[in-house]
Amino acid sequence: MKKIFQKNGNINLLLQGNEAIARGALEGDVSFCSGYPGNPSSEIIETLADAASHLPIYTEWSINEKVAVEAAAAASFAGLRSIVCMKQCGLNVASDFLVNLTLSGTKGGMVLVTCDDPSGISSTNEEDARVFADLADTPLLEPSTPQEALEMTKWAFDLSEKINNIVLLRSVSHLSHTRSVVRIGELPENEKKARFDTRNPFHTFPVIAKHNIRHEKLKTAETIFESSSWNPYQGPEEPELLIMACGSAWCYVLEAVEIAGLTGRIGILKLGTTWPLPKKIVRETLRKCDRILFAEEVDPFIETAIKAYAADLGEEAGGKTFMGKASGHIPSTGELNPSIFLNLFEILFGLDLINKTYREKVGEHLDGVIFPREFGFCPGCPHRGSYYAIKQALAWDNRDGFISGDIGCYTMGIWPTGFNQVKSVHAMGSGLGIASGYGKLAQFGFDQPVVTVCGDSTFYHAGLPGLINAKFNKSDILLLVLDNSATAMTGFQPHPGTGSTATGEDTEPVDLEALLRSLNIGVDVADPYETEASAQKIYALLQKKGPRVLIMKRKCALVQGKQGGFPYQMSVNHDVCLGESCGCGRYCTRIFRCPGLIWDKENMKATIDQVVCVGCGMCADICPRGAIEKTGKRN
Amino acid sequence: MDKKNPEGQTGLVEHVFKKGLCVTCGACVDLCPYMHYHDGRVTVMDKCQAEDGRCFKWCPRAVPPGMNTADAEQMAAKGIGPFRKIVAARACDEKKRESSQNGGMATALLTLAMETGMIQGAILTDRGDDDAPSGKMVLSKEMISAFSGSRYSASGALSALNRAVGKGVEKIGVVGLPCQMEALERRHQYYIKKQMTDQVTLKIGLFCTWALDYRKLAAYLEQEGLTGTVIKCDIPPPPAEIFRVYTTGGTFDFPLPDIRQMIQKGCSVCTDMTSLYADISLGAYEGREGWNTLIIRTETGEKLVDLAVSKGRIEIEAFPEKNMSDLDHAAQNKKNRGADASLKMTEGEVGS
Ligand SMILES: Cc1cc2nc3c(=O)[nH]c(=O)nc-3n(C[C@H](O)[C@H](O)[C@H](O)COP(=O)(O)OP(=O)(O)OC[C@H]3O[C@@H](n4cnc5c(N)ncnc54)[C@H](O)[C@@H]3O)c2cc1C
Ligand code: SF4
Ligand code: SF4
Ligand code: SF4
Repeated sequence: MKKIFQKNGNINLLLQGNEAIARGALEGDVSFCSGYPGNPSSEIIETLADAASHLPIYTEWSINEKVAVEAAAAASFAGLRSIVCMKQCGLNVASDFLVNLTLSGTKGGMVLVTCDDPSGISSTNEEDARVFADLADTPLLEPSTPQEALEMTKWAFDLSEKINNIVLLRSVSHLSHTRSVVRIGELPENEKKARFDTRNPFHTFPVIAKHNIRHEKLKTAETIFESSSWNPYQGPEEPELLIMACGSAWCYVLEAVEIAGLTGRIGILKLGTTWPLPKKIVRETLRKCDRILFAEEVDPFIETAIKAYAADLGEEAGGKTFMGKASGHIPSTGELNPSIFLNLFEILFGLDLINKTYREKVGEHLDGVIFPREFGFCPGCPHRGSYYAIKQALAWDNRDGFISGDIGCYTMGIWPTGFNQVKSVHAMGSGLGIASGYGKLAQFGFDQPVVTVCGDSTFYHAGLPGLINAKFNKSDILLLVLDNSATAMTGFQPHPGTGSTATGEDTEPVDLEALLRSLNIGVDVADPYETEASAQKIYALLQKKGPRVLIMKRKCALVQGKQGGFPYQMSVNHDVCLGESCGCGRYCTRIFRCPGLIWDKENMKATIDQVVCVGCGMCADICPRGAIEKTGKRN
Repeated sequence: MDKKNPEGQTGLVEHVFKKGLCVTCGACVDLCPYMHYHDGRVTVMDKCQAEDGRCFKWCPRAVPPGMNTADAEQMAAKGIGPFRKIVAARACDEKKRESSQNGGMATALLTLAMETGMIQGAILTDRGDDDAPSGKMVLSKEMISAFSGSRYSASGALSALNRAVGKGVEKIGVVGLPCQMEALERRHQYYIKKQMTDQVTLKIGLFCTWALDYRKLAAYLEQEGLTGTVIKCDIPPPPAEIFRVYTTGGTFDFPLPDIRQMIQKGCSVCTDMTSLYADISLGAYEGREGWNTLIIRTETGEKLVDLAVSKGRIEIEAFPEKNMSDLDHAAQNKKNRGADASLKMTEGEVGS
């Protein structure tokens, strides 16, 4: 058993932020854990799924975030403690339930963890999920370090039970994925029995009364926050600058203040409980200084709230200068870092601290060592084959067709690795909904064919309604389910089609084909590696009307790699390779672009990077000269 | 190299595809992965960066008229152009004639050419059956008659030549439309320049007033309730004004004005009706069912026709003076129309 699951506390472990949250949940006596994978949140449920085989808890990957919260709410209604985890985009999906759940209230301690992705490093956006705390009147906690993440998570269950409502905990990429030494506590050992008390139903009626109760709960939370230890102030009694910081931004501030040698001149209020504001603490701290800088990731959330509160304080607050995202002192988009604060301190304190940012210095050192890389599908990736086939079919079709895309590895179809075929990407399942709209534009003269692509996992998450909408409204939609039997982008979590659950238990896989056939929608299957045959099928389907589905079936290259690998040893016959000449023009490296293919500048021929190539053999079929040869099994 | 007129696919796209002038001859297809023929259309698959490409050099539409040897000659030629002999002709084999478009000359001459070893393979246009017609390489004389009859939509047949090259067939005969003959001429010039041996040893050109866009035609025929698989199409002599389609399910007539809507845009600038660059040009004999008009243009053509006559494969008759002047007139008319249209197009460009 891993140390992270041990009963005894009082030892130090090197934990990732997400693992610390998971340990915090276990120490907080959680029974029910659910979530939907998505960077940077996935490791929480992965850890808790692992825990489920050692400890008396239940963990699941749910079909989507809304269902995840609903399932966890059931456990809470039945008196158990539950945790539900997702990324910021996921909270949008869950929000419809969330805003109603906070009216009905909860029973067993319930914590919702949202891991936001500033800069949208692995997301379609960089939205700030904290706004849901305001929207749903939910207490919000923002840990800054793994240690704090553990403790806050544990504490959040108690808070939830005190106010009988769900509590939000917000992490960001840097906290979720950082590792540090964490002192763990003991795991409780309580007998638990789930039971729903039929005398106390959970619903939102009467709405106004419940809304009032919700506000009362928030008031209680505020009082608890004010007496908690999560909002410490450090620094001189009369600082020249007061920084109000939360989450990872607090770490950046601390680092910058130290580097700049401003410890004695700057005061820092670390806000750990950011909604509702611990007003008393804010009020007292505001008295210390008239220049206030806000440090937080993504939106000016505490900034706006504190400025509004200062307005309420009126004369008492006096003339303050607020600096932050609104004033332009802090960038209003993108992930923060210590350099941003150092730069600001230079201006505010007239210092000369840095001539180059960390990023610039790293850039200089690595110049020439690391060459630019673009987003790309793995060698052997079936999506490359699927997009190649779609590109071919759309070009043959010649009506300026395009792809309405979705969320998954295949989102990269917007880039050259997917031949730039994808022309729109928004939210999970949106590709289908959008396509169902295009499919009704014929009466307005729309004559471009549209293909929509959706991964198997995404299809179960939110794709099905879009498809049923197309069926219901007789929309001309061609869906290609890119079925690679994995939730590859987020790290191979199982989904309803894979045949196993989060904890590795066998479960009957959903038969996608049968499901689609039950809708009486024509379904065909093609192999992405057979690009020509697939293109023929797609072309034929493009000429038809109504909803149509083609399942592009081939396991994710990484899964194939784990399950015994690929069949071929590849090589390029330089006597046959045309290279740049008319007849090819470096087709394999310039257009097909599998990273396994490289350009040999010396010989002006293509060649195989034997380290990168996995031996799928796809490129042999696209070379116009048959110069790419496949022989037997690689060793 | 002229940056504004790159002589590769970029130029092809600029001068041909963007203007909608491609006539689906197939000369640019299957030389590389970038140009495809599919379902009756030639399409650009990916962007090629070559600045000196065969696609551009061989395309009968890429270079503005008069800018190329082939164009210059064609522009200079009047009416049906230079020829050695013009006769009425038909195949002696009645069976061959039956399945043929007119006198079965194309089929008969090719069969003989293959028998004598003048060619080892022939590039022909298949019927497509339920799909678009397309080019095929035929290696046995028995197969040739399976390709008889005219498909009135363009078929990209020269792609089959591109696919065949380098596969060991050294002498190839091609049957094609005037634009395809012109492409072969350009290709030939390119081969001379590069000091390579041209594999095409026999060119049988057809007469052509225009060809149709396959996709439009197929959609129209389906919408109008055509049944069966198309065997051949015909335009009975004026004043019938109909387009006749023979299928396995019967014979269907459609109003010619409807059909004219589907003419390829690129045909409007075409100045050649009688395949100036062929060894032998073949057309219908207006008013005489089952006969061809045959124009012999080269020594190669003359030898083959003479042999066919001496072997009793074909019979020939004198071509009346009246028909001759009608044909010349018709050819000159097309030439004028095409030249006017392309002038208008260039003016339009300058104007815009
Ligand atoms: C699009 C088109 C337009 C034509 N317009 C005229 C015209 O206006 N006036 C006129 O007198 N004659 C025209 N012809 C020529 C005529 O239809 C006959 O092809 C010609 O008279 C030869 O007849 P045949 O009996 O010898 O041919 P067959 O012995 O029947 O052989 C026909 C040959 O034509 C080839 N062929 C069939 N369809 C095509 C095609 N789409 N593209 C290229 N090759 C093809 C086949 O490969 C076959 O070898 C046209 C032909 C076509 C294909
Ligand atoms: S290997 Fe094939 S596709 Fe790649 S450059 Fe050579 S001929 Fe072209
Ligand atoms: S075989 Fe070709 S396509 Fe497949 S991984 Fe190797 S280089 Fe890439
Ligand atoms: S006319 Fe012929 S060569 Fe020119 S683009 Fe069209 S198919 Fe290609």
